[in-house]
Amino acid sequence: MKSVGRASITLRLTALFATVSTLVLLALGYLIGSTVEQHFVEQDIDVLSGKLDLTQRILEKARSRDDLLAVPQQLDDALVGHHGLSVVVALQDGELLFATSGAEFPDGLLSGGPVGDVAHPRAWRTARGTPMRGISASVPTGIAGMPKAVVGVATDITHHEQYLAGFRLTLWAFVAFAAVLSGLLGWLAVRRGLAPLQAMKREAENITAQRLHARLALDAVPVELVDLAVTLNAMLARLEDSFRRLSDFSSDLAHEFRTPISNLMTETQVMLSRTRSPDEYRDVLASNVEEYERLSRMIADMLFIAKAEDGRIVPTRETLELAPLVGDLVEFHRLAAEEKEVELTSEGEGAIQGDRLMIRRAISNLLSNAIRHTRIGGRVTVSIRRNGTCVEVDVTNIGETIASEHLPRLFDRFYRADPSRSGEGSHSGLGLAIVRSIVEAHGGQVVAFSAEGMTTFRLTFAR
Amino acid sequence: MKILVVEDESKTGTYLKQGLSEAGFVVDLAGNGFDGLHLATSESYDLAVLDVMLPGIDGWQILQGIRRAGSDMPVLFLTARDQIEDRVKGLELGADDYLVKPFAFSELLARVRTLLRRGSKSKEADVLRAADLELDLLRRRATRGGRRIDLTAKEFALLELLLRRQGEVLPRSLIASQVWDMNFDSDTNVVEVAVRRLRAKIDDDFEVKLVRTVRGMGYVLDVPEGTA
Repeated sequence: MKSVGRASITLRLTALFATVSTLVLLALGYLIGSTVEQHFVEQDIDVLSGKLDLTQRILEKARSRDDLLAVPQQLDDALVGHHGLSVVVALQDGELLFATSGAEFPDGLLSGGPVGDVAHPRAWRTARGTPMRGISASVPTGIAGMPKAVVGVATDITHHEQYLAGFRLTLWAFVAFAAVLSGLLGWLAVRRGLAPLQAMKREAENITAQRLHARLALDAVPVELVDLAVTLNAMLARLEDSFRRLSDFSSDLAHEFRTPISNLMTETQVMLSRTRSPDEYRDVLASNVEEYERLSRMIADMLFIAKAEDGRIVPTRETLELAPLVGDLVEFHRLAAEEKEVELTSEGEGAIQGDRLMIRRAISNLLSNAIRHTRIGGRVTVSIRRNGTCVEVDVTNIGETIASEHLPRLFDRFYRADPSRSGEGSHSGLGLAIVRSIVEAHGGQVVAFSAEGMTTFRLTFAR
Repeated sequence: MKILVVEDESKTGTYLKQGLSEAGFVVDLAGNGFDGLHLATSESYDLAVLDVMLPGIDGWQILQGIRRAGSDMPVLFLTARDQIEDRVKGLELGADDYLVKPFAFSELLARVRTLLRRGSKSKEADVLRAADLELDLLRRRATRGGRRIDLTAKEFALLELLLRRQGEVLPRSLIASQVWDMNFDSDTNVVEVAVRRLRAKIDDDFEVKLVRTVRGMGYVLDVPEGTA
């Protein structure tokens, strides 16, 4: 069985539309039918009660037994010309005073029990199948002391019934036709209503990896679909961004790997081209190992960043007092700083929730980066500060001012503000990218600003 | 000392065997999980180096087999994946250490030696010596040829590490982790600087140089042949 989510919208809407209009038409047909029938009943009641009154008046005028005997003649005269009308007058003792020819009344209406209600006539069929509607009443005669007589009046309703049957047939045929028609109209309306979706589909089909910059046209979309189109466009923008970064990344990667691999190859081939002394072999092997180590570190760093971007790095959370943590790092990096006569200091305190190893790695990367870019005799300062609900860690160094267009891209993989420095030493170009990965995995952020020879990297963590 | 290496990548297996043999160990190499488990449970080894991903039986299953056989020999895992789950699983199953590929051979050698040493709690010497260099651990004093050498705390820790593991080439990462507790890759030259300064204090003024740089591998403290 198909799940609801997979069924066609056109089919569902058409079925819904047809069902609703059929139900409405059926109810309307029933209402019209009953109203017409009720109208006929009321007409009959009018006629019947008129004849009942007439009979009653004639009976009331009879003052004696003899008068009573004249009643049938009077009634005959009064009723002449009323085709299809049956009147019966029964006296108390069951004696039938008057009956029109062929008059047939159901048992309960005349003898015994309460007599019929004028407002609610009864309908029945005679032995010959003629449909009748009739009422009855107890009527006093003009003779004092005489019990009331029972008068029954009925009319032939064959004509009404035939008319009603014809009317109903027409009505139901119309209802059926209208239901089918409205279903069809509903189907057409839904098809037309969904046409913009088809148009969007065709537009979307044209978007490929090479055409990720394309967007769905918002002005051609009906109001209800604008949100969807905007959402899809936002998704496309994200995809385009990821795709661009991925392809940048692949070419960066190829580029970064090309240099060391080509060094290794050339060096080794030159060495193999003739016989060398063991010392020469040792030298080239050692030099190769250095390249391999660089490559291997680069791979490890790339994997770390890739996992972080995938959200697969989940830092443990423990309370980290930053002052001693930074103190240890400063002590570690001090030796490298002293080599460049760089003064390395730390100040302030604060605590955050985080992964000790990762936070140490992030701050350590910032420190080695700062020391590397400080001129000889410069200064590197780490300051920790509580700022509202955040804790900020600033790593500041004195050095060349970094142009503002480079600042946001410093945290990109392999990005170097100064292209001439690429490949310098064992520096992989991934240190700051790792900083950003770690900080973002902690829900924090990292920014860089640089002015008047001072460059600051600021890590912001929630407390 | 006898070591079992289970590694299905034949090039890796061969160089592991060669490297460990040349470092003075007796090495058996198994190329798949079945042979590995069979050797591990039928022969006696001082340590096993297991690759996690193996055809047939994987490293975890070999470890379980070893522990089920009642052996508590140290097991070092080699894994291509540095997943936390792998680490946790390994430790739960009773692995003693693990290394993520690609790794430096000197790092592997250092870890192997650490694991082997862990078993034999050798007598803790109070004074470490190499040639005429003496490090008095109790009095925190270093002397060479009877001359007192002033060392900072970190220099002392570095020298102690080199002396305790005389003759072993120690990779930079191991030194950074043991002396400064920096357990991550760092692109600073701190270790180089520290070793250079230590050398200036203990070697520069002396004929016999004790601390050597092994290019591409790390640093080693040993007494050159031909000297007492």
